[in-house]
Amino acid sequence: MTIVGIELPAVQSAAFEFLIPAGAAVTPDGCCGAPTIIEDWIFRGAGGKSTRELNDLMDGLGLQHGSSVDSKHLTLAVAMQAEKLSKAIDIYADIILRPSLDSQQFEFSRQLALQSLLSLDDDPRHKIILLLREHFYPDPLGRNTIGKQEDLQNLTDTQCRQIVAQNFRINDCVLAAAGKLDFKNLCDQAEKLFGSQQSKTSNEIIQNRKPLGYTHYQYEGAQVHIGIMTDSITPTHPQYYNARVAVAVLSGGMSSRLFTEVREKRGLCYAVGANYHSLKEMAGIACYAGTTPDKAQQTYDVIIEEFKKLSDGIAQEELVRAKIGLQSLLVMQSESTIARSGAAATDYYMLGKARSLDEVKASIEKVTVDSVIDYLKKNPFDNFCSVTIGPTEIKI
Amino acid sequence: MIFKHKKLANGLNIIGEINRDAQSASVGFFTRTGARDETAEINGVSHYLEHMLFKGTDKISAFDVNLFFDDMGAQYNAFTTEENTVYYSATLPGQIYKAIDLWCQMMRPALRDGDFNMEKNVILEEIAMYKDMPQCDVQENCRQLHFGSHPCGKSVLGSIETIKALTSSQMREYFESRYVPNNITAVVAGDFDFDKACDLIEKGCGMWKPAQADRAIEYFAGTAKKESHSKKKLNCKHICLASPTVSYQDERSFAASLLSKIIGDDNGSRFFWELIDTAIAESASMHCEAMDGVGAFYSYIRTSSENGDKAMQIVENIFKSVKDSKISADELQKAKNKVLSAITIKNEIPMGRLLEVGINWVYLGKYRPIEEEISLINKVTLNDIHGLLEQYPLENFTQFILGPE
Repeated sequence: MTIVGIELPAVQSAAFEFLIPAGAAVTPDGCCGAPTIIEDWIFRGAGGKSTRELNDLMDGLGLQHGSSVDSKHLTLAVAMQAEKLSKAIDIYADIILRPSLDSQQFEFSRQLALQSLLSLDDDPRHKIILLLREHFYPDPLGRNTIGKQEDLQNLTDTQCRQIVAQNFRINDCVLAAAGKLDFKNLCDQAEKLFGSQQSKTSNEIIQNRKPLGYTHYQYEGAQVHIGIMTDSITPTHPQYYNARVAVAVLSGGMSSRLFTEVREKRGLCYAVGANYHSLKEMAGIACYAGTTPDKAQQTYDVIIEEFKKLSDGIAQEELVRAKIGLQSLLVMQSESTIARSGAAATDYYMLGKARSLDEVKASIEKVTVDSVIDYLKKNPFDNFCSVTIGPTEIKI
Repeated sequence: MIFKHKKLANGLNIIGEINRDAQSASVGFFTRTGARDETAEINGVSHYLEHMLFKGTDKISAFDVNLFFDDMGAQYNAFTTEENTVYYSATLPGQIYKAIDLWCQMMRPALRDGDFNMEKNVILEEIAMYKDMPQCDVQENCRQLHFGSHPCGKSVLGSIETIKALTSSQMREYFESRYVPNNITAVVAGDFDFDKACDLIEKGCGMWKPAQADRAIEYFAGTAKKESHSKKKLNCKHICLASPTVSYQDERSFAASLLSKIIGDDNGSRFFWELIDTAIAESASMHCEAMDGVGAFYSYIRTSSENGDKAMQIVENIFKSVKDSKISADELQKAKNKVLSAITIKNEIPMGRLLEVGINWVYLGKYRPIEEEISLINKVTLNDIHGLLEQYPLENFTQFILGPE
């Protein structure tokens, strides 16, 4: 297990994030949704304590906690008053190493996962993001992180226990903490709690990428929800910051191109924006827009045009604004211990190290108009994955 | 943290909380106006006007507003509720004075017809967007049903009809009556110089003319009506309940807030153990909205269609049992722990402080330091909570359900 720590003596809180290599893509075929079940199941008693005893302990410390499943990881995140950090780590060691995984409780976790899948259909804005990743990334990297109905219905507690035994590999876990903490104490505690765990090896993922195209999902809602995704480069690529600046020119602040062209000049949408999204293996730029059916085609066309126009040229002022926006957001996010620990965990997973704020700021500073254009010419936006959910289809 | 206050001759309050350790600074203009201050004819105008402020002034175009903020690397936005319209930005400390200056100018918008007509499309899209979010839609409907003809029953977004019919002159008239200096509080938090901020605000806003901007305040316990609607496209049952509670000005608002945590926090609450742990509902939460002279508890429960009735039965039993068999000291202590740790985390960020300090000032007309807030939470007793339950029985709730056909 790797431990990353950021000591921030001026704050009163601490936060940590555990990345456990048990995400949706590393789940065996036919078991889609197991991580969603496990995410709930591991909190139903651990270390010899019942669900209620465990919960009482966490509430007694006033822990603000959450969990999520992405392609590669099950993430457990916690924030608290700094003096509670050590006790919180003890509790999470029980949850990760010694969950009860009781058969009766399994059924409740499975029912909740099935209901999550059901409610996703009532939330097209959330659903389209998951669908977009599913269509864009190769299988199994893009798998729906909540799961498949059929698999969720068929999964057994025995299968899920095996997945926990296989995927909760402590040697591949990352624990990142930020806030008022003593890094040496944190390491000593983690060593004591997790140090004796045996190393295990991971299974290789075989990727299967489908050609990018257009898929429509019929839904009698008020809007057509449009998702568009195109290839980008991962954080380890030498031109990475050029890719980030390019996305910021397209959709950083409210003066950026998409917001100006789609919302301000044409009034086509309330919500429109593009974000960079990366897995370790590959990355993309994902764009979302929601609009009423009569405006859907124009919205789509304007967005695609803006993507394609980007490599024609970027004004120096646009570049400066994009860089200031990224740098300033970086500093402001650093005020939150939750954001700091989350970023450090992701950095370690992606890059094998946590970047300092100064290092990131300097890398952004180096980006020029020419370097962004060079990146765009080498990585043109010419292949789009498009998904719509709504009452009408669009023409691609 | 150091608190500062200055009132301009025209009635505009400037308040600041200085934290020299902060990495950023935030500024907000809190205008005491929202959906409850509108007439039925212009319903939605507060929120529409909030959008229009970003369209610039006689000297600044809409695009320039966005450019100026982006040049500062600002995080900026605004929100409208039933009773407040709040404009805010966060920047690095070196940019805060530019941000203050820009907001001062923006608070006197041009309200150009061309921009007004274009933005109408965006507002209509926003209304459509919320229609596709049943979790929001059901809460909006429940609030309207609960408050009935009370002003707090007005929709923040307005309806497609009121927005389509609204004219720019109606908006101007509303603006002139509500955006008067004595109805606005400028709030700054983080690493900044108070005197410098005051000079800028006085220069930018000191010439605004005060005028009366009253609000009708009347307590209302809610209609306790119950409605159920179905939509073909829906998969789940979305249930929203509302019942009355104390106002923001009432000192028992902390007890009310703790009660909502005990019953409906995400973890370890009554809802959690009886609805989520047992997988009867996928989501169940309760929160307290203490408002101007009035207040309401809102519960939201999402279940499968089959589990809807069962979930409602459980919720009603919980509402009854907290009153009959009482809440334990342990439950109260856990709720306090959670609230106190959330305060620690939120207060580390100037933007978190900005909203807290600003809203306190708008409702209470005073500054409440973090230490006082913590002490008020710690002082809440079981008797306070049980007294609250006696006076505001949860069983008298309004109910709105959206579910599949």
